[in-house]
Amino acid sequence: MATEQMNPAIDKILANIEKVMIGKRNVAELSLTALLAGGHVLLEDVPGVGKTMMVRAMAKSVNAKFRRIQFTPDLLPSDVTGVSIYNPKEMEFQFRPGPLMGNIILADEINRTSPKTQSALLEGMEEASVTIDGVTHKLNQPFFVMATQNPIEYEGTYPLPEAQLDRFLLKMKMGYPDMDEEIEVLNRAQKVPPIEDLQPVVDLEGLQELQKEVKDVYVDETIKRYIVDIVHRTRGYGSVYLGASPRGSIALMKAAQAYAYVFGRNYVLPDDVQYLAPFVLSHRIILKSEAKFEGISAEEVVNRVVARVPVPVRRLVK
Amino acid sequence: MIRRSFPALLLYGLGFLLLWEWLRPIEQLTNTSHVGAFIIFLLIAFALSFLHVKWFWQAIIQIVFILFSINRFHYQEPFFQLSWLGSFMGDIVNNLILIGSRDWTRLSNEFRTLLLFILLWLMVYLVHYWLLRRQRIFLFFFMTLIYITVLDTFTVYNAGAAIIRTIIAGFAVMGTLTYFRIIHDEKISPNSSFLKKWMIPLTAMIALSVLIGIAAPKAAPIWPDPVPYLKTAANKGGEDGPNSGISRIGYGTNDERLGGPFIGDDSPVFQYEGYGKTYWKVETKDVYTGKGWVPPGSTPITFWETDLVPVYSIPNTVETAEETAHVTFNPSFFATDFMVYPLGIEKFEKIEPSGGTVFNIDTTKEKITSREKKITSYSVQFKVPKYKADNLRKTTVYQSSDMGEEFYERYTQLPEELPQRIKQLTEEITAGKTNWFDKAKAVEEYFGKSEYIYDQKNVALPKGNTDYVDQFLFETKTGYCDNFSSSMAVMLRTIGIPTRWVKGFTGGDFIAYSQGETSMQLYQVSNNNAHSWVEVYLPGQGWVQFEPTKGFSNGISIDYSTGQSSSSAETPIAPQVKKPNQQQEEDTKGKQQESSFDWNTVWTNVQTFLTNNWMNAALVVILLIILAAMLYRIRGKWFPYVLMFRYRFKKKDETIGAAYMSLLSQLDRFGIKRKESQTLRNYAHYVDSFYSTREMTKFTHYYEQYLYQQNLPEGSWEDVRKLWENLIKKTIA
Repeated sequence: MATEQMNPAIDKILANIEKVMIGKRNVAELSLTALLAGGHVLLEDVPGVGKTMMVRAMAKSVNAKFRRIQFTPDLLPSDVTGVSIYNPKEMEFQFRPGPLMGNIILADEINRTSPKTQSALLEGMEEASVTIDGVTHKLNQPFFVMATQNPIEYEGTYPLPEAQLDRFLLKMKMGYPDMDEEIEVLNRAQKVPPIEDLQPVVDLEGLQELQKEVKDVYVDETIKRYIVDIVHRTRGYGSVYLGASPRGSIALMKAAQAYAYVFGRNYVLPDDVQYLAPFVLSHRIILKSEAKFEGISAEEVVNRVVARVPVPVRRLVK
Repeated sequence: MIRRSFPALLLYGLGFLLLWEWLRPIEQLTNTSHVGAFIIFLLIAFALSFLHVKWFWQAIIQIVFILFSINRFHYQEPFFQLSWLGSFMGDIVNNLILIGSRDWTRLSNEFRTLLLFILLWLMVYLVHYWLLRRQRIFLFFFMTLIYITVLDTFTVYNAGAAIIRTIIAGFAVMGTLTYFRIIHDEKISPNSSFLKKWMIPLTAMIALSVLIGIAAPKAAPIWPDPVPYLKTAANKGGEDGPNSGISRIGYGTNDERLGGPFIGDDSPVFQYEGYGKTYWKVETKDVYTGKGWVPPGSTPITFWETDLVPVYSIPNTVETAEETAHVTFNPSFFATDFMVYPLGIEKFEKIEPSGGTVFNIDTTKEKITSREKKITSYSVQFKVPKYKADNLRKTTVYQSSDMGEEFYERYTQLPEELPQRIKQLTEEITAGKTNWFDKAKAVEEYFGKSEYIYDQKNVALPKGNTDYVDQFLFETKTGYCDNFSSSMAVMLRTIGIPTRWVKGFTGGDFIAYSQGETSMQLYQVSNNNAHSWVEVYLPGQGWVQFEPTKGFSNGISIDYSTGQSSSSAETPIAPQVKKPNQQQEEDTKGKQQESSFDWNTVWTNVQTFLTNNWMNAALVVILLIILAAMLYRIRGKWFPYVLMFRYRFKKKDETIGAAYMSLLSQLDRFGIKRKESQTLRNYAHYVDSFYSTREMTKFTHYYEQYLYQQNLPEGSWEDVRKLWENLIKKTIA
């Protein structure tokens, strides 16, 4: 899809990210997609592949406040959301905002911490606000979380419950760079990290403007049907224990809108839906244990489902 | 440019040969004489061109040659006297004026010769130009072939050898030209080893292909010879042009070339009242050419109405009975410039219009015509022979006392190239027979064998050197009276029995009993009754009629020694001729009845039609279904044109939708299938990589907007129609 004319603003952001990230353009595109759609991203990956670098570059490009939370088993919810501390001078409790009070947040190794802390984060993601000591604090807008988690099989992890996984718009893997890219990484590591020189491309208001425009991207009736068709079929699929929910449909549509917008279109194509379906749906379905034994991954299931759904190629007869 | 070299000389030689083929038929088909001079002119022109003589000298030499030739052909004075030149110039001026007034027919021969020379000069230049400048000769070669084949088809010119010569020369020219082109294009130095490498395979290839062509079996023509076919299509009737005689319609006078189909013609020629059926003679012919019959000459005599008709009559040694018959010509029949008469004619009587009629007779052909006026009716007095078989059987061998040597030779004439097997066959047939009569009877009966078929339509026309009789006897064995009678006459001649070939009419169809005299009957003779048969000269018996044609009988009575005259059965002559007419009449009657409109009758008619013709109807239906199925199968080939035509005139942008869908199904038919779950964009990439274009992607982009955005920029269809057409065309290939 490189033949298409990218949205100019998005293109600039991507160019910024590419200054510090080598390769992984698709990850950057998807992350931006999630950002524009107002969703969050779950990265399932090992440390050290450049997640932080990418998120920081993105934050710098949109002139956003970047925060990073390293989740550990002993992290408390207040460490995330912030805490009210008694100020003896003022004779009252004063709210000290936690790292959640930023715009773009990297939540590292989210499954290392206790469910209590996790839910504090996830509540914030969902509600866009946190309640501390009876006072509701609005989170900054735009608000974008990129969480990472170690592969589930790791020891000492608290797997995220399905209902909470649902909060992430996209789930993806970053993967290692290939040989050439990694050599380039070494080259760059010898110099001053360029991240400091990045200039913002849009400000936060501009970003919000973009987010509003994404909502206007046209989704034809046929595309909606197509989305629903795909989501429906995940429910009846043989090796699926629990299919995607209607929220999955909404997520797929929103992601598709944002993705179309990234590529400078104001209408959604089935191609967008097809491309995004595994990222949007794979963490929303639960496979039967047989399927897990057979080594079928959720992504594969989604891909198989997509391969069965006919693409709409003619207008609906009204 | 091609330099003077051996291959160049070859080119000129072959070019000359090709051009020569154009001149060859002229000699045969037109009354152009001195063709040799034109050929020499061609040679000179080619030679001058080959030697690169300056154009000025070329022109001088050629003009001098032309003038010299014209002088030799048309003028008495010697060439160098130059006085003739003045009159020739005057002649040219006159002719130019004639050309101006489009009076082509009056052009003088001198001028025509000049024109032909100029034409040849142009042709030589053209061939020279084609060979040396363009280095392409195929067009000329092809035109030569067409010229020759057309002449072969429509004229008497026989192009059998010409076509072989032309093919050899044409292929050789094209091969040599290819040699030059290769040398030029590939920049090969033209050394002798390359020349050899090229010329030897070329020669071998041409020789091989020509030999195969000659040796290969050739299918017989599927269509009838076009000339008689076209002629009959053009004028239905009994006319017989000076060059026809290929297709026989009714009674004709030209028998130089026999063969080809006989076209039936119902028009009545005459009626006669008589005591029985008799054959009516018109003329006889006795020189067989291998293709047909011609008279050896003509000896016109006149005689008066009251005179005995000066033809060979029946000798007194034969017992005869006197009879008369009255002939009335059909007034609408135009070819009545001959009299019909039976064997043994004595006199014409009661001629209408009356009053001292003078007749012409060509005693060589025994053809009688009235000298001045058209005869409408007449009576004829004649002797009916009652032969005795014993008398007929008397002659066993030729004796000069029986007939003159000249007479005998005249009626036993045969062409030199007559195939020997005719004689062998005749000898086989007549083996064991001692006298001429029995031999003749044996040959006559031989044609009764079932392998000989009477057919008026599928009759071959002998081509080339094929002998007419030989072809019929041994190859086709299918024919009508001319085939049978000619064969019998020729066969008997091979064993030394004098025969002649007689043309006339059979006895015709019985119409009614005569009103005046009840013992007389009225017969009608139409053009269909035109016939030919054989007369054998038996010394002492005169000319005796024989009827070799299958299904015909001449009603000659012969007493086979029992003393009773054998009643010869009257075989009805072509009884089937009348039938179709009757049927037709019934049909028309039926139709008239139907015309009073009645659904029931229509229904019953449909039913009867179906019950009678259900096989045909089913066949037609099956054929239609097969046709439809075939059309459906190959719809990928023609349907796009329909689509293109349909969408060409659409203006609305929404057309993109339908057009895109039709393209999809067309591509699907072509074999580039889209999977159901494949997006259009993905598919378009696939199609584009298949055809290595970008058109499908572009077009798909528009369609995506149409479909997923529900919004098209103004004038989109105009923009993409070209793309669409290109794509759809690709699916036809």
